[in-house]
Amino acid sequence: MPALTGQLVVFGFASFVAIAFALLMVVQKTPVRSVLSLVVTFFGLSVLAILLAAPFIAALQIFVYAGAILVLFLFVIMLLNLKEEAADKDDRPVQRTLGLLVALGLGGLLAGATLRAPVPPRGSPVGGPIPMPDEIPALGRLLFSNYLLAFEVLSLLLLVAAVGALLLSKRRFE
Amino acid sequence: MTGVLPGVAPMAVPAGAFLVVATLLFAIGLAGALLKRNALSIFLSIELMMNAVNLLFLTYARMRGDLAGQMIVFFVIAVAAAEAAVGLAIFVALFRAHRTVDVDKIALLKW
Amino acid sequence: MNQLWLIPVLPLAGFLLNGLVALVSSSARAESESGADQPGAPLPYAQRLFHGIVGVGSVGLAAVLSFAALVPYVLGSMAAPEGLAPVVQTVYTWMAAGDYTVDVAFRLDALSALMLSFVTFVGTLIHVYSVGYMQKEEGYGRYFSYLNLFMFAMLTLVLANSLPLLFVGWEGVGLCSYLLIGYYYDKDFCAAAGKKAFIANRVGDFGMVLGIFGVFALFGTADFSFVELAKRHVLAGNAPLGVYAVCLLLFLGACGKSAQVPLFVWLPDAMAGPTPVSALIHAATMVTAGVYLVARCSALFVLAPDALTLVAWIGAGTAIFAATIGLAQNDIKKVLAYSTVSQLGYMFLACGVGAFGAGMFHVFTHAFFKACLFLGSGSVIMSMHHEQDMRKMGGLAARIPQTFRTMLVATLAIAGVFPLAGFFSKDMILGSAAASGHWALYAVGLFTAGLTAFYMFRLVSMTFFGTARGDAHAHEHAHESPATMTIPLWILAAFSVVAGLLGVPAALGGSDRIGRFLEASVAHPEIHEMSHGLEIGLMLLSLGVAVTGLVWAWRWYGRATGPVEAVSPQAHAFFEKTGSLGRLVANKWNVDEGIEALFLSPFRKIGTFLWRGFDALFIDGIANASAFLVELLGDLLRFFTTGHVRNYALAFTLGFAALVAYVWLR
Repeated sequence: MPALTGQLVVFGFASFVAIAFALLMVVQKTPVRSVLSLVVTFFGLSVLAILLAAPFIAALQIFVYAGAILVLFLFVIMLLNLKEEAADKDDRPVQRTLGLLVALGLGGLLAGATLRAPVPPRGSPVGGPIPMPDEIPALGRLLFSNYLLAFEVLSLLLLVAAVGALLLSKRRFE
Repeated sequence: MTGVLPGVAPMAVPAGAFLVVATLLFAIGLAGALLKRNALSIFLSIELMMNAVNLLFLTYARMRGDLAGQMIVFFVIAVAAAEAAVGLAIFVALFRAHRTVDVDKIALLKW
Repeated sequence: MNQLWLIPVLPLAGFLLNGLVALVSSSARAESESGADQPGAPLPYAQRLFHGIVGVGSVGLAAVLSFAALVPYVLGSMAAPEGLAPVVQTVYTWMAAGDYTVDVAFRLDALSALMLSFVTFVGTLIHVYSVGYMQKEEGYGRYFSYLNLFMFAMLTLVLANSLPLLFVGWEGVGLCSYLLIGYYYDKDFCAAAGKKAFIANRVGDFGMVLGIFGVFALFGTADFSFVELAKRHVLAGNAPLGVYAVCLLLFLGACGKSAQVPLFVWLPDAMAGPTPVSALIHAATMVTAGVYLVARCSALFVLAPDALTLVAWIGAGTAIFAATIGLAQNDIKKVLAYSTVSQLGYMFLACGVGAFGAGMFHVFTHAFFKACLFLGSGSVIMSMHHEQDMRKMGGLAARIPQTFRTMLVATLAIAGVFPLAGFFSKDMILGSAAASGHWALYAVGLFTAGLTAFYMFRLVSMTFFGTARGDAHAHEHAHESPATMTIPLWILAAFSVVAGLLGVPAALGGSDRIGRFLEASVAHPEIHEMSHGLEIGLMLLSLGVAVTGLVWAWRWYGRATGPVEAVSPQAHAFFEKTGSLGRLVANKWNVDEGIEALFLSPFRKIGTFLWRGFDALFIDGIANASAFLVELLGDLLRFFTTGHVRNYALAFTLGFAALVAYVWLR
């Protein structure tokens, strides 16, 4: 076991925050509070990303996920004027208990599986060793060389999604 | 398994800890997706599950000293953005039609 | 040399034009049904004119082109000592598979030139005749389009340079035969006769197809160059067993098309079609395609002498068998039909003894006198208001003199009276049989010649001589046919007289031109020489037999004054005396009944069992039971379709967990 270093402390704090607010998100009845809890979880996750030598992803997590996607959620919640989940009780107790059990069971299963699974060896040196701390230029080079096609397809996907969202939220379908 | 591949800078925090945190978050998201009734909340839970998987990717990328894992996370985030836009638009349309986003009240596809 | 492909294509164009106009006009008539036209009324004159001009014109033009092509060829090949090489014109490649290609190629050689000459000539005459014969018919346009289509198919068959293309024509003429037999499709027996012809031909055609495959397997090619290969095998003295099989299969096809013994039953029924059709398809051209096929493949048949012997015996058997049936028929067209079957038997008899040239010569002469007889019978039938029963005729000689004279000439020709066409061709066959040492076959042929003379003169006597029996009113109103019908009759009668002069044998001072001409195309296994004295003796013998038949028929029927039930008292008494044998002959040897009992009835029973027992109970049972099970399962499963997405998500997750557990614990 490594000593109680600064990194370890930061890891413990960040993961605690992420897990705690994730739980809070699930428990919350009000959608707005759920979203805000998730924002905090994402902050925790971005700290973990920095610990994993991925500062670019960490920034993306904040900017795109917390800053754009979740804000979109907030907009929709306000647009639909959603209040608390209806007071009437969940009339599906079987689904409720079974769902909880399955979630816990699968979580345990996956934890066990990931902990035991060997680290997959590097097949072909796609990325090369991570040049800490400045891996961002390497990432950019990869994006515009090896992953260029995926990158372009992605841009098309975003365009289609934008058009689709517009069409779906139109008031009337003709 | 807990460790980096030969030739990769050692990690201060054991990799297994990250994996445990990731699966825990995944399980919490899954429980939310199965238990919540509000469609938006279910959607949020799914976002959480995706982020748990992202964390797993980052961990493996660090362990293997390979940028490919980070690359995938980048794409996942971008696809998630597209998915969120379309999904939320569907919810808006759904709400217009049924005045609710409670999935238990919208059970149309049955006999 | 002009373009051979134009010859079959012209009638095809006629078919399309006539068919299109007939189709459009018949649907237009159907729409204006309520108007003045009642159904069954003849077509307007202008439309009849159109169909007539297109129908006759396309075939006539094809005939002109044919003669333009074949006259120089025939003259050239008569002049050259070895004959001219065949003219082969390739139009395009029909199909290609690897190294093997089938071309649409047309071939003009001695054999196809002979066929081409009378097919187009007789065909044109019969088209002209049809203009008069069919004028009162509503289906005038349909009739001419089918007839043109037939000419297209027949010319393709004749001119084809390969067995596959020949088979296209072969099936095409079969189709047209079916369509034209069933021309009066609203009458049940016509439709049934058409089906019978088609099915009987199917039996033969399966042999034909296998035979074509066999030829390909033997020689690696199915175009007629295999004949040359077969000829070289003759020199090498190499006759593999496969040759026998191929010969028998091809002969099975020929049997179906040319109505030989096992498969002849369809031809008499085919008389249900209009009479010009009987003349063109079921007497002069199509039914001789089998003989043509055997002559075409003669080099192959020569390699299998046993197969040839079988061909000869089947031919001889058919000849005498059909002739005996012809003795006792009362329907004028049925007599001619059995006569055709019998004459086709002669042709196969000739092929079987190796005298392919003689067989083809008989095909040639037979086309003229049999077409003349059929067209004459059509004229008789029309003048008697569609009466076909000879017992109700009699004494028509004065009423329809032109028909009478032409039919008399053709009858003498088919009976083999010197010096008409039938004498030379039939005598060449009998002479070849005798020369090759097949004396049994010769005897059968000779006896059949007597029967032929008898039943043909019986036909003439019952129709034209004696007292008028049957409907007196119809008899009084019997009138001669129009010129479009009598002119073809006269032309055909003229050719029935002179066509035989092409093959005057050396014994009579001739030089057997047609035999020498055909030598280039057909095989001639070994030349048997008879002394001229013996040959002339045999000729006198067959002439005597023919005259005996004629005289006998004259004695019994010539001045018959009997009632409808027993036209000739002597013949009636004779049949009474022969008892069961006579009844058997009168009932066509019970062949149809035998086929019914032997094949059709068991097949029908098997079919009924397969339908009721196997299909309805077993197959349908399986289908219905499986449908029922699926429905049951669906009824159960639909309770899982709750419509709640959370249920679905749970099920999905459970499945995923199971998968992870499996992968992990594996």
